[in-house]
Amino acid sequence: MSEAELEGRLHPLAVLVYARRFVGASLIPVFALIISLGTRVFVPLILAVVLVGLPLAVLWWWRFRYRVTGGRLEVRSGLVNRTTRVVPLDRVRGVDLTAPFFHRLLGLVKVEIEAAAGGREKAELALAAVSRREGEALRERLLAGARVEVAAEPPALYRATPRLLAVGGLLSGRYLLAPAAVVGVLFNLADDLPGSLVERGTEAVIDRVPTGATGITATVVAGLVLIGLLAVAGSLLVDWGFTVRAEGDRITAERGLLTRRTVSIDRGRIRGLDVSDTPLRRPFRLAGVSAIAGGVRRAGGRTVLAPVIRGGDVGPLLRAVDSLAPDPADPLIAHPRSARGRRFLRAVPVPAVATAVAIVLGWWWAAVAGLALTAVMALVAIDRYRQLGHRFDGRRLSLRGGSLLRRWTELDPAEIVSFELRRSPSQRRAGLATVVLHLGEGAGSRRALDAGEEQAGPLLAELHPRLFAPLVRQSL
Amino acid sequence: MILREPAEALDPRMRTVWALEGAIGAALLALAVAVTVVVLVVQDASTAAWIVGIAGAAGVLVCALGLVWLRPRHDHAYFRYEVTELGLYVARGWLWRRWQVVPHARIETVDIKSGPLLRAFGLVAVQVATAAAGGGTEIPGLEPPAADALVADLARRAGIEDER
Repeated sequence: MSEAELEGRLHPLAVLVYARRFVGASLIPVFALIISLGTRVFVPLILAVVLVGLPLAVLWWWRFRYRVTGGRLEVRSGLVNRTTRVVPLDRVRGVDLTAPFFHRLLGLVKVEIEAAAGGREKAELALAAVSRREGEALRERLLAGARVEVAAEPPALYRATPRLLAVGGLLSGRYLLAPAAVVGVLFNLADDLPGSLVERGTEAVIDRVPTGATGITATVVAGLVLIGLLAVAGSLLVDWGFTVRAEGDRITAERGLLTRRTVSIDRGRIRGLDVSDTPLRRPFRLAGVSAIAGGVRRAGGRTVLAPVIRGGDVGPLLRAVDSLAPDPADPLIAHPRSARGRRFLRAVPVPAVATAVAIVLGWWWAAVAGLALTAVMALVAIDRYRQLGHRFDGRRLSLRGGSLLRRWTELDPAEIVSFELRRSPSQRRAGLATVVLHLGEGAGSRRALDAGEEQAGPLLAELHPRLFAPLVRQSL
Repeated sequence: MILREPAEALDPRMRTVWALEGAIGAALLALAVAVTVVVLVVQDASTAAWIVGIAGAAGVLVCALGLVWLRPRHDHAYFRYEVTELGLYVARGWLWRRWQVVPHARIETVDIKSGPLLRAFGLVAVQVATAAAGGGTEIPGLEPPAADALVADLARRAGIEDER
């Protein structure tokens, strides 16, 4: 089967992208130059950009070519040292199209190609800027093997409404804590800025903070509202119009307000699905869904399928991706009561000891806070135990654990690369063991924490009967 | 007990290898203590030198006992492996015990490795890697013929071409 050759260069406007990158990289040194030498360096700087940066970018663009031919992708680049990278198409694991804000202004996309290299390391190729049409054609061509032709745009499996995203941002630890991170970065930068600008600014703000009871209340309320607004804005910005579609053998997720990002994964690479939530989201029956996929560069092998989704919509989404997926609401086999003691032992001692120390030292405020924290951690420990569970329905394994970040996972046992059983001294005393299932190719591992000894063996034997039949003790 | 234990033990010479490794570690620690004491004496801090010397000597003694005598015996006694029909089964550790089962079909590479210490005792280590970073395992001390037989067996069962 010989398909038409696809060959090309980056879009001519890529020169602007390169030039912008050059400007971006030299921004800080330029800033330093301007500060130390004054504005008279402007003209030479602009000349430097026009005479050096632009020709370099043009040269780079001119020397960059890609070609899809004979079942492989070739990318040639480099000004002095010519590099040719060849990736066989059957090694291509995923093609991501991203449109950062600057690209979107010019109608371009960035193409990132993930390929499995021999061995464990991954190869990545990026085409800095091509037209959107060309990017999509390239993606079709590179993933052709896994592609079933779909006539119209397939229906969405999940679509985030702005309201859902706003609520999700408000109830998400990540976005709520983001302002703190921004403040941290600002204070880090403060040391580099001249004239202690930030310190003076902070002092000026602090001087204006009201001191009366109503004033303080108003300030705190205003601060909370601001944090909430920022969280909502962050969620809307990152996940705007989040849409998941099944295109034949591929699942495609598209998202983003300014930077539009399209991520696709082969169904065949999906090892399982995660559904996670937090105590903030649980009362509102909201959760997040991600796919566990091997051979992708994303953190922990997880690809987000839904940043925030209503509890009732989770089941249909899971089954649309994996038709055999069990329902997360199905009851699981609980782990033995002795596991509860171990959860307490992990959660309570540190705050309890801190409280005791505070009492001995007579720090009453710290003691009260410590006592409250101890009580909260005890509740968390109880919940952590209550969430523990596993169940194998003959085709899919369900696991659940965690409390502050609760995660339910479903796995296809055929995708497990290796099995492990761990037992610590305290688990031995409690008659417990942890089953660890390694998933491979960067997809990480999942575990059944503190399963009973009389549960762990049979579970392993169910997951891979022929492998474990000779290993599991018959006399239980 | 959940799973039955694997059948095979490591070569008894592994105890000596580990003991030597421990002895080297303990010697380095002793050297560090000695240097500190000398420096303190030169600096005319004789009280500190005494304290560091006595505490250090005790620490070195405990470490040496653990590393040279206890750990090698313990690690050897609790390491077991077995090649079953469908997988490689390895168990290690006493207090923190781990049982690993790697299906042959999931093995990607089988390597034989030997450092200078292992070579001095005529031993080699067999490393088994899978597609999962935490999914591989190692058998640290075998005689070369036994290791060759094991590697050939594993490679055959895993369907890896023998490149030797």
